[in-house]
Amino acid sequence: MRTKSTNILPALFTYGFVGLMAFLSVFPFIWMVLGATNASIDIIKGKMLPGEALATNVANFFTLVNVPLVFWNSAKVTILATVLTLAVSSLAGYGFEIFRSRQRERLYSAMLLTLMIPFAALMIPLFIMMGKAGLINTHIAVVLPTIGSAFVVFYFRQSTKAFPSELRDAAKVDGLKEWQIFLYIYVPVMRSTYAAAFIIVFMTAWNNYLWPLIVLQSNETKTITLVISSLASAYYPDYGVVMVGTILATLPTLAVFFFMQRQFVQGMLGSVK
Amino acid sequence: MDKLVRTHLPRIAGLAFAGASLLAVSAAQAKEITIWCWDPNFNVAIMKEAGARYTKTHPDVTFNVVDFAKADVEQKLQTGLASGTADALPDIVLIEDYGAQKYLQSFPGAFAPLSGTVDYSGFAPYKVEVMTLDGQVYGMPFDSGVTGLYYRKDYLDQAGFKPEDMQNITWDRFIEIGQEVEAKTGKKMMGLDPNDAGLVRIMMQSAGQWYFDKEGKPNITGNAALKASLETIGKIMSANIYKPANGWSDWVGTFTSGDVASVVTGVWITGTVKAQPDQAGKWGVAPIPALSIEGATHASNLGGSSWYVLESSEEKAEAIDFLNEIYGQDIDFYQTILQDRGAVGSLLAARGGAAYEEADAFFGGEKVWQNFSDLLAKVPSVNYGIFTNEADLAVTAQLPALTQGTPVDEVLQAIDAEIAGQIQ
Repeated sequence: MRTKSTNILPALFTYGFVGLMAFLSVFPFIWMVLGATNASIDIIKGKMLPGEALATNVANFFTLVNVPLVFWNSAKVTILATVLTLAVSSLAGYGFEIFRSRQRERLYSAMLLTLMIPFAALMIPLFIMMGKAGLINTHIAVVLPTIGSAFVVFYFRQSTKAFPSELRDAAKVDGLKEWQIFLYIYVPVMRSTYAAAFIIVFMTAWNNYLWPLIVLQSNETKTITLVISSLASAYYPDYGVVMVGTILATLPTLAVFFFMQRQFVQGMLGSVK
Repeated sequence: MDKLVRTHLPRIAGLAFAGASLLAVSAAQAKEITIWCWDPNFNVAIMKEAGARYTKTHPDVTFNVVDFAKADVEQKLQTGLASGTADALPDIVLIEDYGAQKYLQSFPGAFAPLSGTVDYSGFAPYKVEVMTLDGQVYGMPFDSGVTGLYYRKDYLDQAGFKPEDMQNITWDRFIEIGQEVEAKTGKKMMGLDPNDAGLVRIMMQSAGQWYFDKEGKPNITGNAALKASLETIGKIMSANIYKPANGWSDWVGTFTSGDVASVVTGVWITGTVKAQPDQAGKWGVAPIPALSIEGATHASNLGGSSWYVLESSEEKAEAIDFLNEIYGQDIDFYQTILQDRGAVGSLLAARGGAAYEEADAFFGGEKVWQNFSDLLAKVPSVNYGIFTNEADLAVTAQLPALTQGTPVDEVLQAIDAEIAGQIQ
C-alpha cells in the first residue's frame, strides 16, 4: 500500500539536510557582511542585525591600511603565480601524458610523492635557498616555489588523457612542430581545463598565507592576507574593520569564480566533448 | 689632453657616480632600524612614537616598524633564526614574556645582552627576571600586565559593600562577597572561560610560584600555589558565582555588557573597561585577592612583552642606544604612551610623571595608575621557563575534571603527567 506521506518523508529529509548544509556554508559569509556594518563592541555582543557603522569601518580600514598598495601586491603575486603555474604545469602535464616512458613514469610518481610533504617541512630549506639567492622580501620569492605545482601537473595529465590523439596526428601530418601543436591545438581544445585550473591556482595564490608571511619582511611588500592577519591579532581587534578587510579580500576570488563558473564546471566534467 | 679627457671622462664620471650612490645608499641604510611587532594600535603605535622621539635628537637614525600578527612574528623569528639567514631578521623584535626563555635558550648568541648598558635596577624586578639567562640580561622590559581587581561600585553598593571592603581581601572573602552580590543584585561576580588558564597563572604568580622552578624543572605536584589556585577556582565554580564565557571575546562581553560585578586581569584591560562611557564612575580598582597560603601577595601579572636586539643586527649599537635612551630613561615618553595607548611600562620611575599622578574620573577620581604602579614593584619574580604554553594547555585540559569534583591532588597528578609527556 502506498500513501503519499511515505513519498514526502524522504524528500523532506533530503531538503532539510540540504538546507542545513547550505545554511552552514553560507552563514559565515552572512555574518561577515553583517559584521562589516556593526561596531566591534556590537559584534562581540553577538548582534546579528545590520548596523550603521559600515561607513566608519570602511573609513578606518582605509586609514589603517594602504589599500591600493596592498591590493597591488596581492594582484601582482597572484597574476604572476597563476600565469606561470598554468604555463609550466600544463606543459609538464602534456609532456607526461603524450611522451610516456618508464623513466618518466618514475619521475611522475616521485613528483606526486612531493604532495605528501607538508609545507612546514619545506619552509626552512626554501627560506635558506631564497636567502642565498638574495630574494628575501621580494615578490619573486613568493611566486617561485608555487610554479611547479605537482597537483596542477597531475590535473593536466589526467585531463590530457581525454585529448584525442587523432588531433595531434592530424596536426603532425599538416607539418606542425610539437610546440605549435601545444600552442595552437592543445591549448584551445583544453580551454575549460585551463579555466578550472585557473580558478584553483588563482584562489590558492590569492589566499596564500604561510609562505608570503615567511619571506615578506616589510610593510611595503605585504599582501592582503598578511594585513588582515595583523589587524585581527591586535589585543583588541576592531572586528568591524577586520570584516571590511575580509570582504574586500574575498571580492577578487568571488569575481573570478562567478565569471568562470561555467568553464569551471565543464573543466571538472571533462574538457573535450 | 683632449683625448685623455674624452676617453676617460665617462669612466671617471661613472666611478664618481657609483661612489656617490654607494655612499648615499650606505648612509641611508646604515641607520635604519627595522622593528617587528604586533598590534597596530598598541605596540606598533608606541614604537613609532618612540622612534619619532629618538629621531628628533638623532636625525640620522630612522625607523621602519613592521607589523605582523603575534603568531606571525614568532613564526618568522623562528624561521629566520633556525635558517641562520641573518639578513632576514630585524634589528629589534618584540617577544612575549612567557616565550622569552624559549628563544634565549634555544638560540644562544642570537640576542644581544644589554647588561652593562641598561640600568635594570630601575625596572620592575619580575620583568627583568624573565629576560635573564646565566647572569646576563637580554632585552628591554616593556609593557606590564600587572593585575588588578576591577569591580562595579554600583553593584557592590547594592549588596552592601564599600570600596574599603574590596581592599586586600582573600579569595575566600571574594567568593563570600560574590554570593552576597548575586543574592542582592542577581549579577554574577565574574566572567570565567573554562578554556583559559589565565586566572590560574595570575593566582599562582601572586604567591611567587610558577609551573616551573628556578631551574626550569616542572613544579606541579609539590606546588602549593598551584594547588591553592586550582582549589580556589574549584570553589568559585561550586559556589557558582561566575558567568561562563566561551573564548576571549565572549569573556570581554561579560563585563562590557554589565553582566558581572568584577574582573580580575592585567592592567591592559583598562582601555576596554573605559570604552563603555555609560559605565563611567561605576568602576573601582583594588589589588587582586590573595590566596590563603604562605607567601601569598596581592600583586601579580598576566601577559606583557619586551624588546630584544638581534646580535646579528648591523645597527646593533644604534638599536641598543635607542632602547636605552627612550625606554630606559624617558619618563615623558611613558606618560605619552599611558595617555594615548593605556600602556603601563615597567620603568618604575615613570610613576612620578603627570599622567600617572592624574586622578581618573572614569574610576570616580581614583589615582588608578599610581595604584598599579605601586603593585608593579611588588609582583613576585618567577621563572617562566621554556614550556609555559605547554603547561598552560595541560592545565586547561584538566579544568573540566576540576569542575566535576575530582580531588585537586589527582588533577595535579594528571597535569604533571601531561606536562611530562608534552615536553619530552
